[in-house]
Amino acid sequence: MAAKPYDVIIVGSGAGGGMSAYHLTRSGLKVLLIEAGRHYDPATETPMFNTNDQAPLRGVGTPDKPFGFYDATVDGGWQVPNEPYTVAPGSEDFIWWRPRMLGGRTNHWGRIALRFGPLDFKPRSRDGLGYDWPITYDDLAPWYDKTEKLIGVSGAAPARGLMNTPDSPDGCLMACAPPRAFEIFYERAFKAMDVPVIPMHGAVVTGQMEGRNTCLFATPCGRGCAIGANFQSTTVLLPPARATGNLTIRTDALVYEVELDRNGKAKGVNFVDRKTGKHGSATAKAVVLAAGSGETARILLNSKSPRFPDGLANTHGMVGRYLMDSVGVNVTSQFPSLEAMPPTNDDGQGTEHTYIPWWGYEKQKELGFPRGYHIEIGGGRGMPSMSLAGLLPKDDASVGDELRAKLRDRFGSVISFNGRGEMIPNDDCYCELDPTARDKWGIPVLRFHWKWGGSETKQAAHMVSTFLEVTDKLGGKPLSKIERDGRKAISKGGEMIHEVGTARMGASDKDSVVNQFGQSWAVPNLFVTDGAVLVSSPDKNPTLSILALAWRSSDHLATLAKQGAL
Amino acid sequence: MSEEPYVSKIDRRTALTWVGVVGAAVAVGAGVVVYGPKMGGEPSTRGYGTDPKLTKPEPAPWSRIMSHDQLQATAIMADFILPATAGAPSASGLGVPDFIDEWISAPYPDQLKHRPIILDGLNGLFWEAQRRHGLSFLDASPAQRSEVLTDLQTAAATAPQGFFKVFRGLTIGAYYTTAAGFKDIGYIGNVPRTADPGPSDEVKARLEREFAKLGL
Repeated sequence: MAAKPYDVIIVGSGAGGGMSAYHLTRSGLKVLLIEAGRHYDPATETPMFNTNDQAPLRGVGTPDKPFGFYDATVDGGWQVPNEPYTVAPGSEDFIWWRPRMLGGRTNHWGRIALRFGPLDFKPRSRDGLGYDWPITYDDLAPWYDKTEKLIGVSGAAPARGLMNTPDSPDGCLMACAPPRAFEIFYERAFKAMDVPVIPMHGAVVTGQMEGRNTCLFATPCGRGCAIGANFQSTTVLLPPARATGNLTIRTDALVYEVELDRNGKAKGVNFVDRKTGKHGSATAKAVVLAAGSGETARILLNSKSPRFPDGLANTHGMVGRYLMDSVGVNVTSQFPSLEAMPPTNDDGQGTEHTYIPWWGYEKQKELGFPRGYHIEIGGGRGMPSMSLAGLLPKDDASVGDELRAKLRDRFGSVISFNGRGEMIPNDDCYCELDPTARDKWGIPVLRFHWKWGGSETKQAAHMVSTFLEVTDKLGGKPLSKIERDGRKAISKGGEMIHEVGTARMGASDKDSVVNQFGQSWAVPNLFVTDGAVLVSSPDKNPTLSILALAWRSSDHLATLAKQGAL
Repeated sequence: MSEEPYVSKIDRRTALTWVGVVGAAVAVGAGVVVYGPKMGGEPSTRGYGTDPKLTKPEPAPWSRIMSHDQLQATAIMADFILPATAGAPSASGLGVPDFIDEWISAPYPDQLKHRPIILDGLNGLFWEAQRRHGLSFLDASPAQRSEVLTDLQTAAATAPQGFFKVFRGLTIGAYYTTAAGFKDIGYIGNVPRTADPGPSDEVKARLEREFAKLGL
């Protein structure tokens, strides 16, 4: 590979890397895309319509496949064989989800595609907490428009003008599938609480879209989509990139180092083949890191040189810092009003059809916590799983006809409320190289430090009380034990798989790793286009923003290349 | 409860790999399994790995640990929980006992936790039948078995995490994840559609009646 002159090496093929490959190849640049995992083909490997009784253990999650047998994730999950990570002594829990496959986490992600809003880019200006981005919502808005039109997003609705919840311009979104019974049901309670319920923005093709198949309104998106009706890097970004003839893909290559030339510019990367253990290298005029926030930080920290003894672009100790995740809380409740409903096909479009954006922007002071959350709500008559007995009352021990009748009546009567909240970056949440631990190939691994702040745990407690209020209004009862203490109810660090912010963008090299285009301050031909560049972690799921930022940054890179400025 | 012995629903190819293992495994303590002498190869305790084939899954690769008698007792108890009805097959008719054997034999933490609960519970059925009737559970009459199981069920309401509840949860999960289970519970999805029409007028009218009751 070293023989071929590449313009750009991209490390990672998920949302950031896939979008970078899409735009750079279409801009005429020769791209080498390096992926740590194996080749993956959704068209032939997706278990569409498989039932749980065809899978070992009826498809339940195991350490080998933590989100279930049919989850798209290959060779990964909370642990990747041969590639450990550690959590520092005294730290709160942190867990790190990684796949090893072409397309990365875009193959299994939740497809929730919400734009960040204007306030999300200027949190410090709003309330003095966190940090401002070097860009505004208006800077990114055209790239959100383009991204939505490219990947296919549902959720079209008349403009509402809700605070910090951007309406997409006409023509960006397709209509969501209609609300299901449980969605109509919960909407009534939220309305009574003066809380808006609006169509979900989901990266699913729900209507006619040129060059794309329409959703079959069946079979879970987490398995991936054999017909490419939802957004995956492997079905939406990489095929057109390949079609340019400018893309070379190298799989099973774990990049561990960016190498510099004598002038201090990036000249290429070093990697180890995960199957053979052989080391290799590749060179290009520019390097784009999009390996995922954790892995991107690890590559930078492992790229040590006389000029950068503490890791590349880490002169001010900013690499690995301001690691963030989303706050997550769940309450699951059962509702007699939904019992014994006429059988209906509730499979839907994969994502929820409606959701609740944060409604308390103007009440944060009285609420006692500074930032908000949105609510993702699951329910309906979904395909039965091994957890079916969980919908019965705790003290029920019925058998026979009585048991069959109870299950029939209660099937579809359970609703799961999931809060996803903003986290304010803090000094206690970061990753660094573990002083002793190494992976199978001797490369230092990440050590995580984590501590939720009071802003997050108070927000988590509010989520619990909101979900209980809604449950009560709808005449339901929680199915599990309720934890009202936000410190205990809150998810683990990393558990929402929204870990972002280890190489953030900023206005100066003193407090950031890259500029507003993901271009590193220290090495001008080194770019970062994954979630590592995020400055804040709003409640909105990060993927759409990673895609839009990656497109914007890649466009800047392509312009520099055309100017001969790399 | 059928008087016919339970015939395993696993296919012959899979069954052959278990020969020599059945009856040789003894569970001791919290999920530790000691294997006795065996005729076949080393019993497999490996999982399916981090990259199993998803579109056409292979059968679970680990060896089954239930003895013949334990599997028979599993069938009797599964059918006590979900016997055949006019419109739906029994649990054993859907192969639920084989599944429970697959489940408790698996090398993963959740399943290893269930292993001693299920095996100790099944052994308890044999002890109880012996104590009450001086018979093996399998040789007891349907009425005698039913008496033992009904007492267990009654006790389960106050011991929610015990053998009966765990066993029933596995039986329910295994049963309703099949096509017959879908039919019985009223799951009508997993079919390709050109559009999602949303709920029917009947469903919407029902919701309005519920809203009226709830004052919403």
